[in-house]
Amino acid sequence: MSDFSRDTTPAIEVRDLRKLYDQKAAVDGLTLSVPRGCFFGFLGPNGAGKTTTIKMLMGLAPPTSGSIRLLGLPMPEEGLAIKRQIGLVPDESLLFDHLTGGEFIEFVGRIYGLERAVARERSQELLNLFELDDASRKLIAEYSKGMRKRVAMAAALIHRPQLFLMDEPFEGVDAVGARLMKDILLEQVRHGATIFLTSHVLEVVERLCDRVAIINEGKLVQEGSMEELRGSSKTLEDAFVRAVGVGTMRETLDWL
Amino acid sequence: MNQAGAILWAQWRIGRSFFMRRGIGWAAIVSVIWYGFWVAAAFAVMLLTSSPIAGSLGGVFLLVFLYWQVVPVLMAATGASLDLRKLQAYPIPVGQLFGLEVMLRVTAAIEVILVLTGAGIGILRNPMLRAWNVLALLLFGIFNLLLGVGLRDTIARILARRRIREAAFFLLILCAALPRLLLTRRRSFIIMTSKPWPGWQPWTATADFVQGHGQLRSLAIIAAWLAAAGLFSYWQFRRTIRFDAEAASARPSSASRTSGLLERFFRIPSMLLGDPLGALVEKEVRFLTRSPRFRMVFLMGFTFGLLVWLPVAMGRQGSAQSFLGTNYLSVVSVYSLVLLSEACFWNSFGFDRSAAQIYFLAPVAFSRVMMGKNLSALFFIGLEIGMIALVCGLLGMPLSPLMLAESFSVTAVISTFLLAAGNQLSIRQPRAMNPTASFRSGAAGRVQAILFVVWPIVFVPVGLAYLARYAFASEAAFFGVLALDAAIGAVVYKLSLDSAVAAAERLKEQMVTALSRGEGPITA
Repeated sequence: MSDFSRDTTPAIEVRDLRKLYDQKAAVDGLTLSVPRGCFFGFLGPNGAGKTTTIKMLMGLAPPTSGSIRLLGLPMPEEGLAIKRQIGLVPDESLLFDHLTGGEFIEFVGRIYGLERAVARERSQELLNLFELDDASRKLIAEYSKGMRKRVAMAAALIHRPQLFLMDEPFEGVDAVGARLMKDILLEQVRHGATIFLTSHVLEVVERLCDRVAIINEGKLVQEGSMEELRGSSKTLEDAFVRAVGVGTMRETLDWL
Repeated sequence: MNQAGAILWAQWRIGRSFFMRRGIGWAAIVSVIWYGFWVAAAFAVMLLTSSPIAGSLGGVFLLVFLYWQVVPVLMAATGASLDLRKLQAYPIPVGQLFGLEVMLRVTAAIEVILVLTGAGIGILRNPMLRAWNVLALLLFGIFNLLLGVGLRDTIARILARRRIREAAFFLLILCAALPRLLLTRRRSFIIMTSKPWPGWQPWTATADFVQGHGQLRSLAIIAAWLAAAGLFSYWQFRRTIRFDAEAASARPSSASRTSGLLERFFRIPSMLLGDPLGALVEKEVRFLTRSPRFRMVFLMGFTFGLLVWLPVAMGRQGSAQSFLGTNYLSVVSVYSLVLLSEACFWNSFGFDRSAAQIYFLAPVAFSRVMMGKNLSALFFIGLEIGMIALVCGLLGMPLSPLMLAESFSVTAVISTFLLAAGNQLSIRQPRAMNPTASFRSGAAGRVQAILFVVWPIVFVPVGLAYLARYAFASEAAFFGVLALDAAIGAVVYKLSLDSAVAAAERLKEQMVTALSRGEGPITA
């Protein structure tokens, strides 16, 4: 069943990770371990440090201190070797607006070392899979937000990575597109890939993820399986609100 | 002016936080050198106008007018302007937006405002002139501000239309080149500034008023020009507000992006280079070919170079024996480099904007990425010079294999040094650029300032080659020095590339942030 999960080292191993911006800690002593073949949700309120963490994992932002190992390899020392095995969906800004969807996916494939013919063929197949074949000749600039997310995810799959790092992959995607993307991601996990995603759509996280971590003000506040996290709460939303300590509206405004 | 004040405040905050994060080192150095030069020019004009003036000042004011209205168009950089697409969503009276836009035209030509200020101080110091003559300069300045708004809006709307963008720009270049052609002939210059159009042009009326000739009549003429410019600019501004740029630039849904010849053109780099370099260059070629701004500067380098420099080279003073006459192909080629330089050299990640982060995420050495950018720049430069040579040949201009060799080798040597300097700037001073905006929102002066500082240095090696040709009257000496230049250039390029790659690794976070930066209510 599993193509990738024979290796037992964690897919992501982060120790005491810290990122300071002008003395202010965006990520403050984060320690985390994500097993291989896991669908991992990384949650937190706005400004909690999720994007900074994912940027450090991607190698886009150097940590102030701490260590990162991806697929058993240290980052950034083995940066190139790690990048070859990772699929990234950072955010929609990764896309080159003046390429067509097909051209962008083929470009990414070639950058990841695929033969040109293979990259072109897979690009076409991915466009079909993500139901973008009708828009294959349109420039990405002309795509809707949901279509841009689909292209970004299609490009992340082209080199068949072992680990996916995804920042808000479902943001702005309609129900049909989200369903399609979820099915494809679950299929990847079934084949042994590991997925690390951030999302504000808790319902999606609840349905997809095996394990979840919650970060708040740069610190890990909770981590565990979905059942462990929910605990006595009915839903993940209740557990999330409890974990980050946000209450209901505390006061009203006279003029509002 | 509540809303206008709020817009300026927001822009100030954005600019402040941007400069606090990025530093202003390079910008400050360039500004001091560039504006220092113009302050010196203003001082010279002050000396000219503070003593009895012989002859008419009409020529000076004509040059001011041309610099203010024509140079921004020719440099495809029209200065800061309001981002109406964002601001239209808010309840801001049109009059306030218009007032702000008029004020922002100052940024299109700060240089000539310095010169006019110098002229004003000179007039105040001149015992032969009355102090109120300065009023003419003020009115002339406002006239230029208003006209600048009207012209900018008109051109921006024309260039936003997908089908007519390039054709319109070609006509625009022809119009813009006309004064330049006239200026190459002294007789035409005299016609523009005096007889047989006695004093009704804004620049001659301003000069007449300043010098105390027929002041009532001159004032009436200036006032008429001012009113016409005001009506024109307000009319154009209102049309711009109502203009649907997205609809104007939309493509028919049936159009194909990848058909026939164009697709083969895009695949040329991949036929010559292996991946990932081939993929990177092919991506650049596809991307830049589709960018309206790049297409426009490519066309400008090609057409404007020919239209302006050929008449100069072949004009009355430019006989076949003059420097320009014998080296016109190299001159036009180097001129086209100037126009292509921002996208190809100084800010090579600018059009990618936040998507540039893919270069740090993909398993490709960053040196390969830089080389991909540099090779695609050379690809377009070679294409541009090839087209210039082809048209020169078709026009029956003198064209020999030696001239072609000279043109390509001079451009190649200069490009090597430009790439070395540009790689440093692209990493250390990245700036997000909108590939769909035909006009750059930065001021033309900033572009010229960079040229003013960097180009003289870059020209030194090639200048030595021309010196060797002159001193030894030998083509062998010329090409020998060029070969030596090329060898030095290659070493400089390699050192610069290594340093830029190291800097990119160190500064990647700041780079991605700078390239992801959106603009405020004023695009500057």
